[in-house]
Amino acid sequence: MLHIENLTATIAGQTVLRGLDLDIGAGEVHAIMGPNGAGKSTLANVLAGRDGYTATGTVTLDGIDLLARSPEARATAGLFLAFQYPTEIPGVGNMYFLRAALNAVRRERGLEEIAAVDFLTLAKEHMARLDMDPAFLSRSVNDGFSGGEKKRNEVLQMSLLEPRLAILDEIDSGLDIDALRIVATGVENLRSPDRALLIITHYPHLLDLVQPDYVHVLSDGRIVRTGDRHLVDEIETDGFGPAPVRVPVP
Amino acid sequence: MIAADTALLDRLIPTGPPDPPSLRATNWLLTHGLPDAHDEAWHYSPITEIISRLAAATPAQARPITRADIDRLTGHHGPNRLVLVNGIYAPSLSDIAGHGAGVWIGRLSDLPPGTLATHVPVGGGFTDGFHALNRAAGADPAVVSLDSRAAQDADDPTPSPIHIVHVAAPGTGPEVSHPRTVIDVGDHSRLHLIETFTGLPGAAITNASTTIRLGREATLTHHRLQTEAVGAIHIGHTHVSQATESRYTASSLMLGADIARHTLDVTLHGPDARVALTGLYRPAGHQRHDTAVRVDHAASRGTSTQEFKGVIDDHARGSFSGHIIVRPDTIANDAHQTNRNLVLQPTAQADSRPWLEIFADDVRCTHGATVGRLDDAALFYLRSRGIPLDESRTILIDAFVREIIDAIEPVSLRDHVAAFFDVAARDRQP
Repeated sequence: MLHIENLTATIAGQTVLRGLDLDIGAGEVHAIMGPNGAGKSTLANVLAGRDGYTATGTVTLDGIDLLARSPEARATAGLFLAFQYPTEIPGVGNMYFLRAALNAVRRERGLEEIAAVDFLTLAKEHMARLDMDPAFLSRSVNDGFSGGEKKRNEVLQMSLLEPRLAILDEIDSGLDIDALRIVATGVENLRSPDRALLIITHYPHLLDLVQPDYVHVLSDGRIVRTGDRHLVDEIETDGFGPAPVRVPVP
Repeated sequence: MIAADTALLDRLIPTGPPDPPSLRATNWLLTHGLPDAHDEAWHYSPITEIISRLAAATPAQARPITRADIDRLTGHHGPNRLVLVNGIYAPSLSDIAGHGAGVWIGRLSDLPPGTLATHVPVGGGFTDGFHALNRAAGADPAVVSLDSRAAQDADDPTPSPIHIVHVAAPGTGPEVSHPRTVIDVGDHSRLHLIETFTGLPGAAITNASTTIRLGREATLTHHRLQTEAVGAIHIGHTHVSQATESRYTASSLMLGADIARHTLDVTLHGPDARVALTGLYRPAGHQRHDTAVRVDHAASRGTSTQEFKGVIDDHARGSFSGHIIVRPDTIANDAHQTNRNLVLQPTAQADSRPWLEIFADDVRCTHGATVGRLDDAALFYLRSRGIPLDESRTILIDAFVREIIDAIEPVSLRDHVAAFFDVAARDRQP
């Protein structure tokens, strides 16, 4: 589904990604871990099309060349980025925003736009599952939301937009244990055979709640280790360095 | 002038029966002239271009306009609509019979003697040469006059507004008109007024003046909308005089014309008066929009707010000059001013100039001005959800201007302004 080959990215003259390869198949959940400055958030931003990066290499989603597309065209192609720091947009109603986003995606999928009243019902269903107060619909986008509320709003958008590939950039940062559980349940509910998830995190705890099929270690702009979910335990023991040479106990 | 150009005045000022205020205005013009490039108050306005266009203009003629034209250009916002075409009252287009007792709508020459005479503010001076030219050359003004304790519909808590429409209907060559409006709100009376300046494409210069008096404890809500067409120049003056405990709430919405300027001058003559001014300008293409506000706290315990916003696109320029005066020997005045600008392109320009003259000690006064671009992070966030770039920009611009547009009543006018706000910019090519 997602194919990344020899991806490099520079920002302000600094090379952050240095030839990254990654393949993610439908229905798979991948986690990327790594130390600060390894390039985790850069990877998320480059995939979503944020300005300011110069990227080379190949990135395709379902065969569509992502790097050549605008951020909105990537989104309508099925990519979703849950932001590490969701942007506050005073004056733009959350409900208006969510419906505009859903209708943009629906137009691309050849579906009719959803009417305001139907959208309200739909949004409330999704919000109930995330234990979100419907009052959030009438507030401005992320404006004055707590850290946990912002992350829930990200998961709400993801569940409404039903992306093919969702990238979760440190969705667990700044959450207390209860909020983490709710967000993790929301993410887990999105797991489906025709959707892939890419979870970027510092901390193993989220990966106990949303168990990945594959775990990668990103270091210095490249993927240096790949394994199954047991790699998380090894990282907890060994840190983010290259795989240690283990001497078998005789 | 640009040393008094008597030939120009002879051409623009009609000869007629001697009218003392008009003669006084002509004399004022002969002494002071029209503004020029050295005139500080006109610093941001393309005055040289305005004057050269004026120099080529002839007095505008009456022209046929249909009701359908008016509806299309301004919308329909209530039963009372007074229409002037090129500054000349158009009775066949006007509906001025559906109001309550104590309300008079029409042209000054039809006004029953004694209704207004003592109230019409004649004033000794003029703000500038255009203001004087309007008085010297202007025709019979449109008048809305309320007796004391009158309201256009006293039983209705949200009365429908009285709408004055000024249409610029250009001919083949450049023409200038001088629409005049006089609003007199008697003691304890209440009025909701819409003033629209609109027009058809062409080389029309509209030099408008509106004079407003609020009596004791009078209340006026006033929306002034300028949506003149491509090719037009609009120079507008609004002068407001407020008595004790009166309330004036106004918006100045500047969306049209090639070059537009609005001078809004409010004097709080009586104590405990309140004034709340908002405004919006949205120049695109090569448009120029200038707003010059002056609030004069001439009495004690007055409250004034100015909240003006600009959205400037393409190669356009927009300016705001906000002047606050607090007179000596007044106490407890409260004056606030903000001007925020959104500049959409590197080629667009916003200018903001606060000017505070505080001659009293017991006063609260604040002001603030900002000029910024659309927030890149917010734009990316919207686009990352699939919302196209143009729609994302529109969403953020709407968020910026929403509080001003949302405060417009009635809803029919709010919708008209919102629609025009979107269309006006699209009509203008950079």
